[in-house]
Amino acid sequence: MSAGPPVAFYVHVPFCLSICPYCDFAVVAGRAARRDAGRVAAFVAAVRTELDLRADGLDRAYPAGRPALQSVYLGGGTPSLLAPAEVAGLLDHVARRFGIAAAAEITLEVNPGRADRGDLRGFHAAGIDRLSLGVQSLHAGDLRALGRRHTPSDVVDAVSEARAAGFGSVNMDLLYDVPGQSLASWRSTLDAALALEPEHVSAYALSLDDPDAEGLTGPFGDHLPLRRGARAWRDRARGSQDQDRAAEQYEAASDRLAGAGLRRYELSNWARPEHESRHDLAYWHRDPVEALGPGAHAFDGDSVRRWNAAPLEPYLAALSPSDGRPAGLPPGGEERLDPDEARAEAAILGLRLPEGLDQALLVDPALEPGLRWGLATGLLVDSQGRLRLTPRGRLLGSELFMRLLPAPAADPGGQARRGTATLIAAEIMI
Amino acid sequence: MATIPQARLRNFSIIAHVDHGKSTLADRLLELTHTIDARQMTSQVLDSMDLEREKGITIKARAVRLEYPAGDGLTYGLNLIDTPGHVDFSYEVSRSLQACEGALLVVDAAQGIEAQTLANVHLALAQDLVIVPVINKIDLPSAQPALVMEELENVLAIPREEVILVSAKEGTNVGAVLEAIVARIPPPKGDPDAPLRGLIFDSHYDAYKGVIAYVRLAEGSLRAHEHVRLMASGAQSEILELGVFRPQLVPVQRLGPGDVGYVATGLKSVRDCQVGDTLTSASGPASAPLPGYQPAKQLVFAGIYPMRGEDYGELRDALEKLHLNDASISFLPESSVALGFGFRCGFLGLLHMEIIQERLEREFALDLIASAPSVEYVVTLTNGRGEVHVDNPARLPAPGDIESIAEPWVRASVVTPSQYIGTLIELATGRRGTFGSMEYLDAQRVLLTFELPLAEIIVDFYDQLKSRSQGYASLDYESIGYRPGALVKLDVLVAGEPVDALSLIVHRDRAQADGRALVEKLKELIPRQMFEVPVQATVGSNVIARETIRAMRKNVLAKCYGGDITRKRKLLEKQKEGKQRMKRVGSVEIPQEAFLAVLRTGGAG
Repeated sequence: MSAGPPVAFYVHVPFCLSICPYCDFAVVAGRAARRDAGRVAAFVAAVRTELDLRADGLDRAYPAGRPALQSVYLGGGTPSLLAPAEVAGLLDHVARRFGIAAAAEITLEVNPGRADRGDLRGFHAAGIDRLSLGVQSLHAGDLRALGRRHTPSDVVDAVSEARAAGFGSVNMDLLYDVPGQSLASWRSTLDAALALEPEHVSAYALSLDDPDAEGLTGPFGDHLPLRRGARAWRDRARGSQDQDRAAEQYEAASDRLAGAGLRRYELSNWARPEHESRHDLAYWHRDPVEALGPGAHAFDGDSVRRWNAAPLEPYLAALSPSDGRPAGLPPGGEERLDPDEARAEAAILGLRLPEGLDQALLVDPALEPGLRWGLATGLLVDSQGRLRLTPRGRLLGSELFMRLLPAPAADPGGQARRGTATLIAAEIMI
Repeated sequence: MATIPQARLRNFSIIAHVDHGKSTLADRLLELTHTIDARQMTSQVLDSMDLEREKGITIKARAVRLEYPAGDGLTYGLNLIDTPGHVDFSYEVSRSLQACEGALLVVDAAQGIEAQTLANVHLALAQDLVIVPVINKIDLPSAQPALVMEELENVLAIPREEVILVSAKEGTNVGAVLEAIVARIPPPKGDPDAPLRGLIFDSHYDAYKGVIAYVRLAEGSLRAHEHVRLMASGAQSEILELGVFRPQLVPVQRLGPGDVGYVATGLKSVRDCQVGDTLTSASGPASAPLPGYQPAKQLVFAGIYPMRGEDYGELRDALEKLHLNDASISFLPESSVALGFGFRCGFLGLLHMEIIQERLEREFALDLIASAPSVEYVVTLTNGRGEVHVDNPARLPAPGDIESIAEPWVRASVVTPSQYIGTLIELATGRRGTFGSMEYLDAQRVLLTFELPLAEIIVDFYDQLKSRSQGYASLDYESIGYRPGALVKLDVLVAGEPVDALSLIVHRDRAQADGRALVEKLKELIPRQMFEVPVQATVGSNVIARETIRAMRKNVLAKCYGGDITRKRKLLEKQKEGKQRMKRVGSVEIPQEAFLAVLRTGGAG
C-alpha cells in the first residue's frame, strides 16, 4: 500500500428528477435539476473548475508526471440528466488534465425512466463505453414501494436503446430485502433482468441507515440531512425487512446469476468475463482514486480519504465565487487512517473478493485473532494459501469484519479525527 | 436577618399528591413573601435536583424560611418543610412532619383525594398536626371543588368552611393560605432556657463545611461557634456556621425553640451525624434525647453492576458519596457469574431504585446494569439450623435445606373511580392479594384495601394499576410483616448456562407462567447469535419453559464503494462497540436491555 497519483476518476452529478426515500447520495431535485432554469450548467462549470484545481495540486505533488486513468465514472444522482455535449466536454477536460488510457473503462450511470435516461446514442458518441442502469427491480410493485419513477417496461426500452446505441457493457443495479418483496418476486426480477442479458449485475440488500445519527450531515459532512418523509419511510421500511428472507434472496441471486454465466467477483457484484467493473475494483484494491462533485470521496491509495461536503450551494459558491474572488476548493474533510485501520480495511475489502487474502496475513498480530475466529466459526476457509469467505461467511461477513478492526477502546481517535477533518475543511473554506 | 420571636414562628409542610400543584403553590408562597425575587424565580424552586424537575416529583425533603407581614401588622417567620409525594418516600414524609406543627393539605380540584394523600394526612394527624385544607387548580374547566369538599368532609372530617379554594397557577387566593397558616397553626412550644435539644431531620455533605445538618430546635437555643454534641453518636464539634434556608443557606447568629435551620458541623462523616439524632450543647447537655426516627427500611433489593468491570472502584466511591446524601440506601459488595463484581443495594421502593440508578449514571458518569429487583425473604432452614435472610434470589439455599420461606406482605390502599373497582380487584387477587375493604369517598370514588405480598407490587403493579384505571387510581402501601409462602426459585439458562442475575423467586403456582413470560421476553431481547441459542426457565432440575433464538442468517454490508468505505468501517466499529457493551454468558452476548426488561416484566406474568 502506498500513496500515488489516481488511476480512477469519479464525478458525482448531484441531480435527480425526484428523490428516492432510501437513497443516501448527495442529490438535489425539483427546480434545481431542471435543464433550463436549474443549476445543472452552473454545476458543470464548477466541477470543471474543481477538476483544474485538483489537477494543479497533483501536478505539484507529482512533477514527474502521472499515468493515464484506467477508469472514469460519472455517478450520481442522475448523470444522464447532463447533455451529451456537457459529458463530452467534461471527458475532454479529464483527458487533457489527467490523461485517459486507450483501453480505459468509461461509465455513465443512467436512470431507466423515459424522462431521465437521456440521449444514449449521444453519450456513446461522447466517449462513454459502459452504462450502469439503476434498475432496482423489474417488479412494478417493488418500484412503486421504492418510490421509483420508472416501470419495468422502461427498463426493457432502456436496454434496447443502449444496445442500439452501441453499448457492449451494461450493468444493472438490483435491490433485495425490499418491503413487500417476496422470494418469488425477487426470483422473477432476477429472471427478467437476465433475459435482458446484462454483462454485469450488482445485487444489493436495501440498507436503511441514518446519516444524521452517524454524524455525516453537518456543513462539512458528505451526506445531506434526511428529509422528514424519507425518515418516516425508512422507519416503516425497516420494520418489514427480514434477515431470513434477505439471506434466501442472496442465495437465490447467487444461484441464478451463476447459472446465467455471470461470475461473482465481489460480494454483491457479478459479471461476465472481461466485464468486471475496473472502476469499482480500484476501490476494492485500494488504488488511488480522484473524485469531484458534492459528497464525492477520493483516496490517496494509502491512508488519506478526502471528501467534498454534500451541500450543492456551498460547493458552487467556492468554485464559482460571485464576488470576484479567485475560485477555491469546496468545503469538505478528510480522515487519516492509522496503519492498523488501513490494514484492517484492506483485509475487509480483500475478503469481499473471491481471491480472498494471503494466508501469510495470519501472522499479522492485529488481524490474527479475527481471522482465526473466522476459521474456527466456519466463516473463513483456508485453501491453497488463501483465506476466503465460505458461503456462510458471505452472509455473515460483518461478524468477521468487525473483529478485524482495531478495538474501539484502543482507538479513541474517532472523534478527534472528525475534529481534524472539520479543521482542515474550515481552512479550505477560508 | 431579624430574629423573630417564638410566638410568631410557624412550621408547616405541604401534603399533596404528585401533580396536584404542591411545587407551584410553594413557588407562589415564595414570591408573595419576596423570599425570592422575580429575577431568580425558576419554576419548582424547591426541586433543585435536575431529576426532580424532570420527573415533576420531589425526592429530597427541603426547607425554606418565609418572612410574612401578616394582616395583623406583625411579621411572622414561616418555615416550609417540603415533602416528597411518592409512596417510596413516606419515610422522608414522616421525618418532615415531625418538624412541624401544621400541614397544608393540597388537593387537586379536578382529581380529588388520592391514596398517597390520605396516608400522609393520617401520618400528620397521628402527630397532632393542624391541617389547613387547600383545594388547588380551581381555574381548571374540569374543577369540581364542591365534590372535593364533600370528599374531605366524608373521609377526613374536614368541615367545608375550613377549606381554602386557590389557583396556585394564577395566584388566586394564595394570600388567604398565608393568613390561615398564621391564624390556625400554633407556634412551636419549647423553653428557650432549657438545655438545647434539636432533631436532625436531614443532612447533606459539603466539601468545605463538612456535614450540614438540617435541624429543628425543640428546646433551648443555639449560637454561632457553640460547641455541640450529637447524643446518639457522641460526636462533638464546634459549629462553623448556622443559618436558615431562604432557600439557599443564609447564616444567622442564633436559632431558638421552634426554629428550623441548618448547622454546619465540620464533621467529616455523615455517620457521626445521622438523621434522627439529637443535637445538644457540649457544655450543658440535655439529659435525654428527643424521640428519633425509625431507621429507613429498605424494601427492594437489586444487584447493581458496572458495565465495565474496571469501573467497580468508581461505583463503590459513587455509592459512598450518594449515601452521604441519602442514608436510605444500603449497599454491600456481591459478585455474579454473569455480571462480575458489583453491589447488592437496598432501596425504599422501585422508584427510589430507578432514581438512584439514574443519579449514579448522571452524576458519576457510570454505565450500570441492574439485576431483577427482589424483596427480602426469611428462610427457615431444616433441622433447626435457624433462619437466613435472602435478598438475592441467586443466594437462596438449596431446596433440601429449606424448611419454609416467608416473604414480606403489605396493606395496599387504592383510591379509584368506582367503575374500575372490578378490574383493580382482579389485578390484586391475580397477584395473590386478598381483598380487605371498600369505602366510598363520594358518590364516584372509593377507597379499596388489599393485603398483598410486597414482591407482587414492586415490579409493575403500579403501572398496571394506572393503565387499568386510565391513570385515575392511586396507590399507597404499608408493611404488615412476614407470612409464609409456597415459593420457589426460578432460574434461567441461556445456551445451557445458568444466568444468576436473571434468577427470580416466585410463587409455585405462578412459576410456569412467569417462566414462560420471561423466556419469551428474553427471546425478543437477545439478538440472534452465530448459532442457535436455547433459553430455558427451570425450577430445580425441571425445565418449565423453553424458547429458541434462531441463529443469525445475514449480517453483511451490501455496498462498499468510495464514500461507503469510511462510513461502513465506522458502522462496523459501532457494531463492534455494541457487542463489547454486552455481557457474555458462556458464548452468548446478552445486551443490557435484557436485564432491564426482566426488571420490568419479571415475576409479573
